[in-house]
Amino acid sequence: KIGGRQAKQRTEEATMNAGANANMSPAEKAKAFDMAQHEMEYRVDLFNRMTSSCFAKCMDTRYKEGDLNVGENSCVDRCAAKYWQVTGIVGQMLGGMQQQQQAPR
Amino acid sequence: MDPSQLEGLPEEDKQKMLSMIENMQTKDSLRMYNSLVEKCFKDCVDSFRRKNLDSNEERCVTKCCEKFLKHSARVSVRFAELNAGAEALMQQQQKR
Repeated sequence: KIGGRQAKQRTEEATMNAGANANMSPAEKAKAFDMAQHEMEYRVDLFNRMTSSCFAKCMDTRYKEGDLNVGENSCVDRCAAKYWQVTGIVGQMLGGMQQQQQAPR
Repeated sequence: MDPSQLEGLPEEDKQKMLSMIENMQTKDSLRMYNSLVEKCFKDCVDSFRRKNLDSNEERCVTKCCEKFLKHSARVSVRFAELNAGAEALMQQQQKR
């Protein structure tokens, strides 16, 4: 349910872009739906991986308590921020690589 | 979710979007269920001298679930913040 919530947030953007061109041809519309779907799936996957990575990095797996202590809370916050930054850098690098591949020689 | 963001769309498209979202939520809930089971099993169950879980193992699994769900909720909040920050930045850049 939580991952789905992130999907919803992303869908809003994708659908706003789709809705902005409400008079699209069926083919364009189908493509917009596909893109919205890909975007949603990407976001959900990103969230899930962030959650599981930060759990592995931050949580004491002896499970002495069911609650997160202060240290774990801070760790999670910082982990999420760093994970996000890594996502950004990788995105830039991949974008740059694609441009190089596509540039005419 | 902010349903008003889907308002601009024709009804048919709106329904299609809503059903896509619901589909993804179901899929993700099931995925989460399975992966949580696997995680807590790996972390909590180590001996196989008996076929039933002992009370320590049961307690461990319960706490593992609680902890993971609370952790997931916290990440969800941070994720939303990071998302919102990135969108605000994008909108700023688009206005130039």
